[in-house]
Amino acid sequence: MDNAVLTQWGQAGLNRRRFLAGLGAVGGAALLSGCATSATSTGPVKQTSGAVTIQSNLSSPQAKVAIEALAKDFSSKGQATATVNTIASETFRTQLPSYLTADNPPDAYTWYPGSLLNGYAKKGLLLDVDEVWQGMSNYSSAFRTLSGDGAGHQIFVPTDYYWWGFFYRKSNFAKWGVAEPKTWSDFIALCKTLQGKGVAPIGVGAGGDTAWVASAWFDYLNIRINGAPYHRQLLAGQSRFDDPRVTKVFNQWNTVLPYFDPQSTALDFQDATTSLLQGRTGMMLIGTFFADAAPKDILPDLDFFQFPVLDPAVPLAEEGPADGYFASSRTAHRAEVMDWLKYVATAPAQELYIKNSSGTVLPTNPDAKDSGTPLVAKGRALLESAKELTQFFNRDSSDALQPTADSALVRFIQKPNELPSILSDWQAAAQKVWSS
Amino acid sequence: MTVTTTPVSTPLSPPALSAPALRRRRSRRLRTVGFHTVAGGLSLLWLVPIALVLLTSIRTFDDIAANGLGAAPHTFTLGGYGAAWTGGGMARAMLNSLIVTVPTVILSLVFASAAAFALSRYRVPFRRGIILLMLAGNLLPPQILLVPVFKLTELMGLYDTLPADIIVQLGFGLGFYTFVLQGFMRSIPNEIQQAAVIDGAGPVQIFVRIILPMTRPALAALSALAFTWTFNDLLWSITVLRTETVMPVTPALLGLQGQFVSSWNVIAAGWVIAAIPTVLVFLRFQKHFISGLAIGAVK
Amino acid sequence: MTTLSAPTISAPVRTRRRRTPRLPPVLILFVLLPLAVEGFWVFWPALQGFYLSLTDWDGVSAPRWVGFGNFTELFADPIFRTALVNTAIWLVLFGGISAAGGLGLALLLQQERRGVGFYRAALFTPVVFSLVATALMWQVIYQPDGLANRLLGAIGLGSWQHSWLANSSTVLYAVLLPALWRQLGYVMVLYLAGLKGIDPVLYEAAKLDGATKIQQFRNVTWPQLRSVNSVILSVIVIDSLRSFDVVWSMTKGGPYHSSELLSTYMYSTAFQSLQLGYASALAVVIFVLAFGVIVTYLVRAFREDAS
Repeated sequence: MDNAVLTQWGQAGLNRRRFLAGLGAVGGAALLSGCATSATSTGPVKQTSGAVTIQSNLSSPQAKVAIEALAKDFSSKGQATATVNTIASETFRTQLPSYLTADNPPDAYTWYPGSLLNGYAKKGLLLDVDEVWQGMSNYSSAFRTLSGDGAGHQIFVPTDYYWWGFFYRKSNFAKWGVAEPKTWSDFIALCKTLQGKGVAPIGVGAGGDTAWVASAWFDYLNIRINGAPYHRQLLAGQSRFDDPRVTKVFNQWNTVLPYFDPQSTALDFQDATTSLLQGRTGMMLIGTFFADAAPKDILPDLDFFQFPVLDPAVPLAEEGPADGYFASSRTAHRAEVMDWLKYVATAPAQELYIKNSSGTVLPTNPDAKDSGTPLVAKGRALLESAKELTQFFNRDSSDALQPTADSALVRFIQKPNELPSILSDWQAAAQKVWSS
Repeated sequence: MTVTTTPVSTPLSPPALSAPALRRRRSRRLRTVGFHTVAGGLSLLWLVPIALVLLTSIRTFDDIAANGLGAAPHTFTLGGYGAAWTGGGMARAMLNSLIVTVPTVILSLVFASAAAFALSRYRVPFRRGIILLMLAGNLLPPQILLVPVFKLTELMGLYDTLPADIIVQLGFGLGFYTFVLQGFMRSIPNEIQQAAVIDGAGPVQIFVRIILPMTRPALAALSALAFTWTFNDLLWSITVLRTETVMPVTPALLGLQGQFVSSWNVIAAGWVIAAIPTVLVFLRFQKHFISGLAIGAVK
Repeated sequence: MTTLSAPTISAPVRTRRRRTPRLPPVLILFVLLPLAVEGFWVFWPALQGFYLSLTDWDGVSAPRWVGFGNFTELFADPIFRTALVNTAIWLVLFGGISAAGGLGLALLLQQERRGVGFYRAALFTPVVFSLVATALMWQVIYQPDGLANRLLGAIGLGSWQHSWLANSSTVLYAVLLPALWRQLGYVMVLYLAGLKGIDPVLYEAAKLDGATKIQQFRNVTWPQLRSVNSVILSVIVIDSLRSFDVVWSMTKGGPYHSSELLSTYMYSTAFQSLQLGYASALAVVIFVLAFGVIVTYLVRAFREDAS
């Protein structure tokens, strides 16, 4: 066989001019490109009857069961029906702008109050729910303020909230012969004792893709040292991360850093929970959702204590993030959506949700009963004793600012000596977020 | 079709066993042992992470929570599979994935091989420009095209339907598949085609009767890869779909992850189930891109 | 280049080939139809992406024109520089190892032997599992008390134990491994298909000439794989510049950007910071890099073929 032809398929070399001409022809389409980014139509939406679609990011099995039970109960009440559409939370977060700007958006959404919603509200994408709040006069004013858009309208209906604290296993504390600390010096003493017993005193879980849990430390130290108002100012860009007040926070942090688990930034929070349960770490500053990461039979063994007070002169604030619902301004089922939001604000609905979910959240409706366990009662007391509530780093600032904190805080835990450059880098990164 | 397979590895053994022949036989045995040691060792190494998924899938949540993800199993249960199948709505999700994948793969390969045929075997004007242009379409990170594509499907009235997922993935695969196939088609000797032209065959006949069969190894390899990618797609599905009931398997499995806490045993079980169709497709197709399609066989 | 086939190219064949045949209309359809589909679903959105790179856009309100502002900002951005360097390292290591390794595996497993189907399937299986599963497996391996460290401990290298994903100097290589684990089987499959396209007659001819295995590879296999090589080079460049899912689901580019690639940085600016204009500018940079590498190679390959 003649192999000559095997390599014989070449023709003239690439003709650049031709190639560019080809590109130019397609370039004409660029003129039409406005369409992808054009703002959506703003006219009144034709109202139709039908089920309320609730786009939900509550994808954990218990939460999914709980919200579906809620929809079923709502539908059985008569006037309107609701269908729940559960989407993985990460997917939900990235697609939220698409959902909201679609020609035919889902009606209601699970989310939390904060700057993201305020931004959407300014763009007219969110439904004004003042009407729902008229029936919520028993709600605390903190929730009312939290759910406002800053321009006099309510855009959010909170249904539950939870707390953060130092969680530990009662049986482990008993085994080690230690007790909950009441003051900061107690806390340091506790850390020392645990370290002496070969236990890493403080677990974190800022590894893997949960670097954000480290922000709880920053939040708490800042609201204990500088107070919640300064914390909010800082997060809103009205102060700087290289401010001496922020340095003070990190200096305080530095005093407990030797007691941090060496695996603080290597384990994600779920694995860090396992370490805590196994007694390899003593305690962990975490939100109540962490209880879902523990085997059911261990739950009664879990307890928590408050983040110790550092300066009695600073009004006591606690982290108490709230979750709930908002709705699209371009819903085709306005009346039904209002019914849904009114329904989830009621005490029976919140009790139903808590009964089906893992039960470590608190209802926002003061008339609703919580799950009644001693742990939840203690958590409720903690939040009720607080003068002020903060939400969490990303909720008080924005999801855009969170990655800047993750970088800075993980780096601080690993290399505390680099503090000055950590803070100046953080300020630079944050500046970019604020100015965009 | 298994004519003249890999003459490299199988030297003909002579019937009489002369001393050099014996030596050769011994060295061949040695080489066989060496081959299986290397290939077997690599395969095992490759399968270790998969074994870890299998191990995770048969544990209970409480076992993982109490002993850690990295620990050896203390429990054995198939409950994870049950939970993934029902809780993840996997039956429906797998069906959705198949409804999207089968037409996407078939259409992609039909379109791409036709284009590759014309571009590699004929002097189509601007052919190199077209090849580069089609490839260029795959160089932009897809994440940045998501919003325009979402708007486009909405404009076409296809948003939140499976056909949208099919046509979008068809569009995004075409450039790449065409580029790969034209690369393979280019290396087919021209004389076969010329012989057919002399016999009076038209381009369509040449395409179907000669070039396609000769590109079979590449087509089979690409089908296996295209099936895998389309079946496991996440990005395009979440961009053009938003309702739980039409979601394919990857977004459905992601939904098994909680907002904060994940049942790794259920998720691992879900992935094992989801991997079955693609593994089957690979096993079915590897025959075609492996067992020698010798060029002599088609002549 | 000295190939077995090159010297025998005969002039008459070439002239015959050079005569331009009239292009049958059906072939125009063959090209235009796929091009139209791709044009509508890819080029059009891509052009919008280019346009967006010249704007400030949050994904919801109308984009604000900023000209080349995003690009000047990019070059002053320290995270962009980290990501660029990491991407270059990634391109060389990921690209080089997967090309060489994939070819090696294909050469090893192209032979018809007992058990070879199993080996090929084993090496291909990682391609089948997608991002979350892969990330999960490797997180288990890299746990502080996970497989990697236990293995090191068992063979007496306890001092090498690391928190692989938490350490800013090891994390990039730690996420490279799972990416390679997935890519090698894929490149192997493409090379297997390429090797199958080589006419066995060529090997027989080479053997008659007394060529050794290495000479056969150099003089038959490698030149015959030329067009497949340009395919694989493109595949690898595309994949290494777009490598995203494994890195994102394992580290999100952290700790403190030490495993940040251009692709992960683009994603976090787009979907966490909601700076879609800036992210589009990053996407354009990725595009230009990929296009630059590929076109340089392809144009040269085209030229070699033509001469």
